[in-house]
Formats: sequence, structure tokens, C-alpha cells
Amino acid sequence: MKLSPFFHVNNRIAKTVTVLLAIPALLLPAACLLYILFKGIPALHWDMLAGTASAVSFGAIGSLWPQVAGSLLLMLGACMIAAPVALGIALFHALCASARQQRMLLSLLHLLQGIPPIVYGLCGLIVLVHMLHWGICLLTGAIILAVIILPMLVLNTVHAIDRIPLERTEAARALGMRDGQIVRRVWLPAAWPSLLTGLLLGMARALSETAPILFTATVFSGINWPDSLFSPVTSLQTHIFYLAQEGANAQAVNIAWASAVILVALVTTFSISASALRKIRVGG
Amino acid sequence: MLNLWMRASVFITLVVVILMLGFLVSQSWPYWWQYGIGMLFAGEWYPYERLFGMAPAIIGSFWAAVVALIIAIPTGIAAAVMSTELMSGPWRGLLRGGMELLAGIPSVVYGLLGLWVLLPFLQSSLNLLTGHNLLAAGLLLSVMVLPTIMVMAQDALHEVHINQREAALSLGIDWNTRLWRVLLPQAWPGIRSGILLALGRALGETMAVMLVVGSMDRIPDPWYNLLAPAQTLTSRIGREIGEATFGSIHFAALMACGLLLAVATIAISLLAQEKRGQFTFFPGEAGSRKK
Repeated sequence: MKLSPFFHVNNRIAKTVTVLLAIPALLLPAACLLYILFKGIPALHWDMLAGTASAVSFGAIGSLWPQVAGSLLLMLGACMIAAPVALGIALFHALCASARQQRMLLSLLHLLQGIPPIVYGLCGLIVLVHMLHWGICLLTGAIILAVIILPMLVLNTVHAIDRIPLERTEAARALGMRDGQIVRRVWLPAAWPSLLTGLLLGMARALSETAPILFTATVFSGINWPDSLFSPVTSLQTHIFYLAQEGANAQAVNIAWASAVILVALVTTFSISASALRKIRVGG
Repeated sequence: MLNLWMRASVFITLVVVILMLGFLVSQSWPYWWQYGIGMLFAGEWYPYERLFGMAPAIIGSFWAAVVALIIAIPTGIAAAVMSTELMSGPWRGLLRGGMELLAGIPSVVYGLLGLWVLLPFLQSSLNLLTGHNLLAAGLLLSVMVLPTIMVMAQDALHEVHINQREAALSLGIDWNTRLWRVLLPQAWPGIRSGILLALGRALGETMAVMLVVGSMDRIPDPWYNLLAPAQTLTSRIGREIGEATFGSIHFAALMACGLLLAVATIAISLLAQEKRGQFTFFPGEAGSRKK
């Protein structure tokens, strides 16, 4: 084949165009992270987290501890509700479902994953806040977040179980183990790192969702530590949202940046430990 | 016991899904009943005068998503091509890590960045009265959906069978042709799913959009004017849900916005599922292409 004289030129142009188009993807992650740190670190003081400043003084030297606690509580609640259900569905998928049921289940989960979180928030608002008269509270937020992270947890668990070598399950069956024993003695020991990875990613997701809890679980200030499940909480996410709009008050915006640093740090802690766990292989 | 637990979880989930859709429909019913489906095309939304036209928010959501995809698709695919075809291992890991970082930043933090970095920049560079507009929302969304497109495209390119690459190389096809005639067509189903996922994400994103879009219920005038404050479905829900009384027609209208969003995103994910992973060149070897 005779090469055209533009052969190499064409390739070079194509490669250059690709690289040029990809530049934003290369620069944006670092730029975003550095800018958040650049704005947030100077605004971050130790007494924001450790200090005993009351939650009422959100303006100047407020403590961010109530917000961090609220976010973490919502996240923990969501995981505690979603994890058992997710495991149950994944086991149903692996043990009971016919091929057609499996397909329908996965398809349903993908659909649920596509529905915007704010729609879940709306449904929670109707049912939990208004119809059951729970009001704006921690439990409402936790349930809504649980529904939001559920599809992701189930899909992750299904994949984790799928990755267990079939031989092991077959060997266990040949030994006469029942379903419950297989789950406890074979699957959980083999799959726990992946399950934990999924849970950590779910936690990161629950921490970063803002819209659905904005009008169902959180208030702006006045709560240091919720008295009960039916008490509203403050959260980092919504705190950033409210303070970001205080354009006239530079100090408020600074605190918003500081909260953003804490939130990003929490979320990345969870996702980094998730990817560290992903590398663990149990057994041979 | 195990059986009970499994069946209970599936049952609870199904009940929640059905209840959710049921309540969305039933709560928005007064709106559809009183105003009719024609309100989708009506341009006035003034809750105090009981005018609830959906068109401004629908057009706003549409434009924000389109701007986001126009920017994110070429960038995302180029980044994926670069990482699978041009980069070596460590760099590829770095790029992937960067994308995961970008995907992990919460949307409200993007909103903060948009409000205090992007808006002043747009305002001064385009000489606008206010930076709040659909272009800002689109730009911000493009950053947020970039990881989705890039990661899906990267996985799709990665899964193109090695035989195909070797065949292309042995034919002496140059890099450019190989990319356009072999790699991209074969990775297209995966890339397409990524684009549809990104579209759903862009339509449903609330916090970031809400902070930068301006929340003015006006139809862009002229229709391609992206530089005026506007409204999207999500930002309208977020802004007004706190003010609407439960059971009022305003509340029903906001539920109708939610229902529209849910229907649109369900349609998009059905479309994305329709052909996922059906493209196999060698049916016999389909299994070996799996990771």
C-alpha cells in the first residue's frame, strides 16, 4: 500500500486535536480541587471544628461541628437502612430469581438509579413529612437518602457475588450446605471487601446529596445535636447552600468555602478508602 | 429466615417504587385536571396569579442539558481516546483518578464554585448585568457530567477486542482511520449509554443549577438567548417547594414538574438500556471481551 504524502501529517493533526480537546479533562480536576483548597483552607480554623462556639453564631466564628455531625448522622442512618435491604435484594437475585426476574430486577435498579434525587425528595416530602406528619426530621432524610443509594448498593453487591468463582459455590453445594450457610461461610468471607467498597461509595454518595434533604431533613441553624430521630438536623451540604447565597457577607461566604473543604475531605476519605479496599483480594 | 429477609427486601423496594410513582401522579393530579396538558406549552408561571405554565422551565432544562452535552461529549471522548490510545499506565491512572475526584465533588460545591468563580468571570468577560444564566448552568453541568462520559467511553474503548486492534494494525491502517473506522464504531454502544446517562444526570441536577441559573421564569428571547436569567425544572422545584402549601395547586404544579423529570429520566434510562452491550463482532468470543 502506498502511503499518501499526508499520512503522518493527518495522524499528527488527529492526535493534536484529541489532546487539545482533552485538555479541560486534564486540568479541571486539579484546578477545581486547588481552588477549593485555596479558598477554604485560609477560612478554616481549628475552633470551627473543636470549638464550643454555639451553633447560633453561624456568621463570624461559628462552629461547624453540628453541621458535620448532622451530615454524618444522615449518612449513617441512610446506610443502616439501605444496607440490609440491598443485601437482601442481591441475595434474592443470586439465589431465588429466575433469569427473567433477574433481568427485570437489574433493569428496574438501573431505572431507579436514573431518577433524579430531587424527585425522591419530593416523594419523601409528600409521604413522610406531610402524610405521616413526621415533619422535617432526621429520619425522613435518612430514609430518602437510603432510597437514593439503594440501587447503587444492590448493583454493587450483585456484581460482588457474581465475581465469586462458581466452583466455590458448587463445592459448597456438593458438601450439602444450605443457602444460609453458603451465604455466611462462603460468600461473605469471599466478598466482604467488595461489599464494604460499595458501602463506602454509598456513604460518599449520601454525604454529597443535597437537594433531597434541603426541604425534608435540615434547617439552617439552631440544632447542635438532634434530640431524637424526629428532630431536624443541620448539615454541611445545606449549610454551604445557604451561606453561598449570602453575597453581602464576605465572612459567610468564607465559611461556605471552609465547609466545602470539610465536605470534600469527608467524601474523598470515603471514596479513597473504597478504592484502597478494592485492591484487597480474599483467598486465591 | 433468609428467605423471608430476601423476599421482604424485594417486596419493600417494589412497594416503595410503586408508592412513589403513585404519589407523584396523585399529588400532581389536581394540576393536570384543572389546567390540562396544554400547560406544558404555556409561557407564564406566576404562582400568585395562579398561572402555571411549564414552558420556561422545560426550555431552560433543555438548553442547560444541551450546552452541557455539547461541551462534555467531545471533551470526554477525546480524554477517553487519549487515555486508552496515547497514554501510558501511570498517566492513565492519574487521569482516571482525576475524573473520580471530579465525580466525587458534591454538587453543592460545584454550585459554590459556579456562583463565586464562573459567574463573576462570565459577567466581566461578556459584559452582562448578571452572570446568572443558562450558559453558566450549562458550563457547570458540563464539568459535572464529564466524568460520566469519560469513564463510560474509556471502559467501552478498553473493551474493544484485541483482535480488532491487531487486525487494524496488520492492515497498516493509520492511527486516524483506526480510531474513526474501528475503535469508535465498536465502542459506540458503551459511549452512547454514557451520553444518555450524562443527559439524565444533567436534567436532574439541582443544587449547582439552582445557584447559578437565576431562577427567573421567562422563556429565552430570542429562543437561543442563553445569556439571560432563566429557570429549569429542578431549580424551580428547589426554589419554590418550601413556599408551597401542601395540597395547594402550586404544590400540585411543582409535583407535576417532578413527574415530568421522573418520566423524562425513566425514558432516557430505558433508551440507554435498550442496546447496552449488544454489539459483538465475533459472537463466539463475546465472553472473552468481558473484564
